Amino acid sequence: MKNNIRIYLVGAKTALASRMAYRGDFFMSMLIMLLVEMAAPVITILIYQNGATFPGWNMYEALLIQGVFLLGKGIAYPFFFGIVWNTIERVQNGTFDLLLIKPKSVLFMAIVTGFDAEDLGKLVGGVTLFTLALSRLPAPEPGAWLQFMVLFTITLMVMFGYGLVLAGLGIVWIGNFRVYEIFESITSFGLYPTAIFSKSLQTIITLVIPVAILGSVPATVLLGRPSPGTLGAVGVSLLFLLFSLGFWRWMLKKYTSVGG
Amino acid sequence: MGRRTKIGKKIGYWFGVLKATAFSTYKEWAAYRSQMAISIFVGPVFFLIQLFIWRAVYATRTTLNGLTLEQMLTYYGIVAVIGYLTYDSADWDLQWLIRNGSFLTYMLRPVSYCFLAFAQKIGHRLLALWVEIIPVGLLFLFVFKIRLVPAEPGWALFSLGLSFVLVFLTNYCIGITAFWLTKTEGIRRAFLTLRNLSAGMLIPLNFFPAWMQKLLFYLPFQFITYVPTRVFIGHYELAGISLSIPRVVGLQVVATLVMLVVARLLWACGIKRFTGVGA
Amino acid sequence: MLISVKNLTKVYKTYQRGSSFKETVKSLFVRKPLYVHALKGISFGIEKGELVGFLGPNGAGKSTTLKILTGILYPSGGTVDVMGYIPWQDRKKYVAKIGAVFGQKSQLLWDIPPIDAFYLNKAIYVIPDREFQRIMAHMVELLDLKDVIRKPTRQLSLGERMKCEFVMAMLHQPEIVFLDEPTIGLDVIAKDKIREFILEMNKKGVTFILTTHDLSDIEHLARRVIVVNHGEIVFDDTITTLRRHWGEKKIIAVSTVYPLPDLTRPGVTVTKRISDYQAELELDLAVYELNKFIALVNKSSTIRDLSVQEPPIEETIKVLYKT
Repeated sequence: MKNNIRIYLVGAKTALASRMAYRGDFFMSMLIMLLVEMAAPVITILIYQNGATFPGWNMYEALLIQGVFLLGKGIAYPFFFGIVWNTIERVQNGTFDLLLIKPKSVLFMAIVTGFDAEDLGKLVGGVTLFTLALSRLPAPEPGAWLQFMVLFTITLMVMFGYGLVLAGLGIVWIGNFRVYEIFESITSFGLYPTAIFSKSLQTIITLVIPVAILGSVPATVLLGRPSPGTLGAVGVSLLFLLFSLGFWRWMLKKYTSVGG
Repeated sequence: MGRRTKIGKKIGYWFGVLKATAFSTYKEWAAYRSQMAISIFVGPVFFLIQLFIWRAVYATRTTLNGLTLEQMLTYYGIVAVIGYLTYDSADWDLQWLIRNGSFLTYMLRPVSYCFLAFAQKIGHRLLALWVEIIPVGLLFLFVFKIRLVPAEPGWALFSLGLSFVLVFLTNYCIGITAFWLTKTEGIRRAFLTLRNLSAGMLIPLNFFPAWMQKLLFYLPFQFITYVPTRVFIGHYELAGISLSIPRVVGLQVVATLVMLVVARLLWACGIKRFTGVGA
Repeated sequence: MLISVKNLTKVYKTYQRGSSFKETVKSLFVRKPLYVHALKGISFGIEKGELVGFLGPNGAGKSTTLKILTGILYPSGGTVDVMGYIPWQDRKKYVAKIGAVFGQKSQLLWDIPPIDAFYLNKAIYVIPDREFQRIMAHMVELLDLKDVIRKPTRQLSLGERMKCEFVMAMLHQPEIVFLDEPTIGLDVIAKDKIREFILEMNKKGVTFILTTHDLSDIEHLARRVIVVNHGEIVFDDTITTLRRHWGEKKIIAVSTVYPLPDLTRPGVTVTKRISDYQAELELDLAVYELNKFIALVNKSSTIRDLSVQEPPIEETIKVLYKT
């Protein structure tokens, strides 16, 4: 374990050094990584500024959901979600083989070599939006914080699960970077209060596909009004993680039988 | 030989090059059609989210900024379709050619790169027509019941054509920056994000604060998405200014011409640098 | 036996795909499977310290064999035993003991110096500091890389990069090193340096297995050659035997004082009759002995000059590939 952490740190360091070779582009990209995530908050703010609302939610409550979502993405994208582009790119140009000749699990190697420094911009954005929204809302109880921490850990696990599914798809669907769009579109439902969706859709994004857990489920705990079905969402998330691990293994097996 | 037949021959030649280039791009991309078809899923899903957002917002009112719920949804539907129709990757293509050096092979051809790139875009969009645009359009039409019928079809089509050219020209200009910058990924995405925002892809431009609307009115980006969408709906308004459809399309023509000049100038500088450095 | 391969087979299944609208719609419902037999049951063994070259035309099954031996791919049938491991089953433990250089897949990182990539491998293979420094210093010395490893990779020449790939692949002191077209695109000097390095490491007991299209790699390096074609081994022996594989032939160029007679007879093929006094021919030693031939020509026309050469190995290889 200690060893693996060391490997991860060396990997992150080299990735950062690589990216810093073009400093200007790096900082620009970091800013952009933040900007592209601002679509939902911008829409939300403009809706409220034009005098409209999501019925039953004030602007900062809605922004808190998006803050939590972005915080999760901000941690996932630089630190482990890089497996997606790393896998797609490597399978496409044939260097995925190089991960297989290392004496470590392929998944671990894909994480190590997929550290994505510019996505730290998302983390900065997530922290900012989260604190900004929270500062305009009544302070949560310590108990709520505790629950939030537990749920947010699950958020990160689900993010990892999505990473595995997309990377797995990237193995068989060669060179297809559009898998990101599939992910973005599905998870967008987690950016808004679940109450705005129809009943059946609410059930789907909470209890079938873990989407609400990415934003609204942990956020509503901080707001003192937990979402219905929170426990179920947790269960579904854990199942999803298991499924995604299995999916990744299956796709990897396919790769080693076809050889890219 | 008469002047007329000479010109006729030239046009015939250009058309031949255009057709051949477009067709080869079409074939090349046909292998990736399953990737293109992802739009059939992604487009409607994003639209579904907009549908719920605006339904919630309109739950307590009938109009917002002069738009009804139906008009609002139509706006997003048309924005999506225009997005697919005018999409191109001229920026990425050009910077890639410059960076890996194969741009040189284009310098050796008797046809300008700009023309070839535009022909490629046409080929690419022709494939997209049946792979993504028509399926998504049908979904909008029959599942979401959006009226994808323009108020004035002639003007809408013309405006759309201009947008097709404008998107190409702006992307082309970003691609040209690769003559100066070793890595253009950042600036490319920065520009595209800001452009999409200023073009009204996220939200109708008249939702922005008054001062921003004034600024946006004088920027060329509104002509990419916002204007053709408004022309489609049949009513234009921004920064408190209402314009008739022929007028606003006229302005779009001016914007396109200006962009053409900008692209030419930028290209001339870029080429000078390219040949000067001798990369 | 360090490596033992028995009856190795590999079958790929792919699907036919059309590009027209009609074919696309059709492929949604019925797909026609296509079976490609990449390996049709090959067997061989390699001893410790050997230096073996794999030859074969494109698509012959070389890469498939190499991928299976490095644990990247698992076969459809047959057995492989390398140092007591089954590569694709004990992958993690196994690959810690091997190294690999792929001529067309870089393990270095484009924008940063090679040494930073070396440090990443140091962490992955858990190489102790002292050992890491010692081995790196040794290889840097052997390959003339002193100033090179601290420059960004993108500024290095192809030869310098390839040398660094070797360092990268051998820092953890593997017992077996697999090389996939290691000299592709290199100039003569870089090729020589790399070949020297391989021979040097081979002397120290490292087993090398290489695939290449460059026959001079094989001539300079390998004592043993395995030729693969259509998924089968068509030749497996020393390079000298390979030369003799299709009969022991010599290429002879002769020029004489007096006009040459008609030389065509069993065992002698005139390939070029330049003039009455000069000719090139192919001699089959099994049929016509060299000393007899020289005597014949000297007697009839008095030899002014004569050279005897081995037939170019390319010719032999071409024959093997065509079968």
